[in-house]
Amino acid sequence: MTEAPPREASAARPARRVLVIDDGITMRLFYRSVLEAAGFHVEEATNGVEGYEKALADPFDLLIVDINMPKMDGFTMLRAIRRDRAVLGVPAVTISTEADPADARRALEAGANYYLVKPVAPDLLTEVARLMTGGPA
Amino acid sequence: MALVKANPPGIPAVGDGKPTPDGPASGLPPLIETGPSVEDLLAALDAEESTTRRSAARALATHPEAAMALCDRVEIERSPSVRVVLFTTLIRLQSPEIAARLAGLLRSEDVALRNGAIEALQEMPAAVAPSLRALLADPDSDVRLFAVNILGALCHESAPEWLVEVIASEPHVNVCAAAVDALAEVGRPEAVPALQALRARFPDEPFMTFAIDTAVRRIEGR
Repeated sequence: MTEAPPREASAARPARRVLVIDDGITMRLFYRSVLEAAGFHVEEATNGVEGYEKALADPFDLLIVDINMPKMDGFTMLRAIRRDRAVLGVPAVTISTEADPADARRALEAGANYYLVKPVAPDLLTEVARLMTGGPA
Repeated sequence: MALVKANPPGIPAVGDGKPTPDGPASGLPPLIETGPSVEDLLAALDAEESTTRRSAARALATHPEAAMALCDRVEIERSPSVRVVLFTTLIRLQSPEIAARLAGLLRSEDVALRNGAIEALQEMPAAVAPSLRALLADPDSDVRLFAVNILGALCHESAPEWLVEVIASEPHVNVCAAAVDALAEVGRPEAVPALQALRARFPDEPFMTFAIDTAVRRIEGR
């Protein structure tokens, strides 16, 4: 009996793609380092307008969205994205400095699937990213 | 050559209803410039049509006496495109009084309005400087954080020094993190000891450690 060929394992699957949208360079670098260490492919946008354009141009598996950004804030960007059928279902996690439950509610109403408060622990970010993208990167 | 000013689009003509001299064809040189008065422009800020409000906001950029009315309007204006013009006009008219009014918007729950105010204040370094000390000492940590965001993008010679003061005394981790992020952009070597001292204040925050390492690397690499 011949040995069965190895299955196409998860190693063959392309890494889940995450778009980090945040105007803070250090924040973007931090998310990138944490998510890349967990096996995700990360791209960046520096404001809501750039994030919106990138999200529509080449849909991602997950959006990490800051709220307070120049040009277009995270709420406005999410509302715009949720109006577009092509990216309607892409999960989005907002990360804000504001821990007020009203802010979390606003984020969810704008189209976020999850709300995290800064500073985010690396383990929590990885866990939420895996949860939102349906498994390991 | 005609000296008659064209009315801004959307702004109704004002005057006594008689034909306006239109230059050489009238045979008489115009004696005065015509166009909407400040009062007419201020009234047009409340017009139903957004194009009229936008034109009025733009036309008021040469009228410093309209500044407070523009500040009043930006707080209630719902049209994003009119809001942008209102902020642009306020930037052109910039003064410490305007900056103080816009600083009040940092408490707004309307994120787009608040961010518009932050971006406008970043464009008026001299005007906002007198308000910054108070904003950095505000009891609300969100207001202090927005003040740091302004400071980080402000082309002001004292900005790096003020950011160092923030990380030396600020108790809130997110405000400190915003200041570290700003120092990564504008900090000088004198900021490095304060950054290292900050590390000891938040030893259990991985992001802070990462941010400080990044800032120090960027400052020392410049």
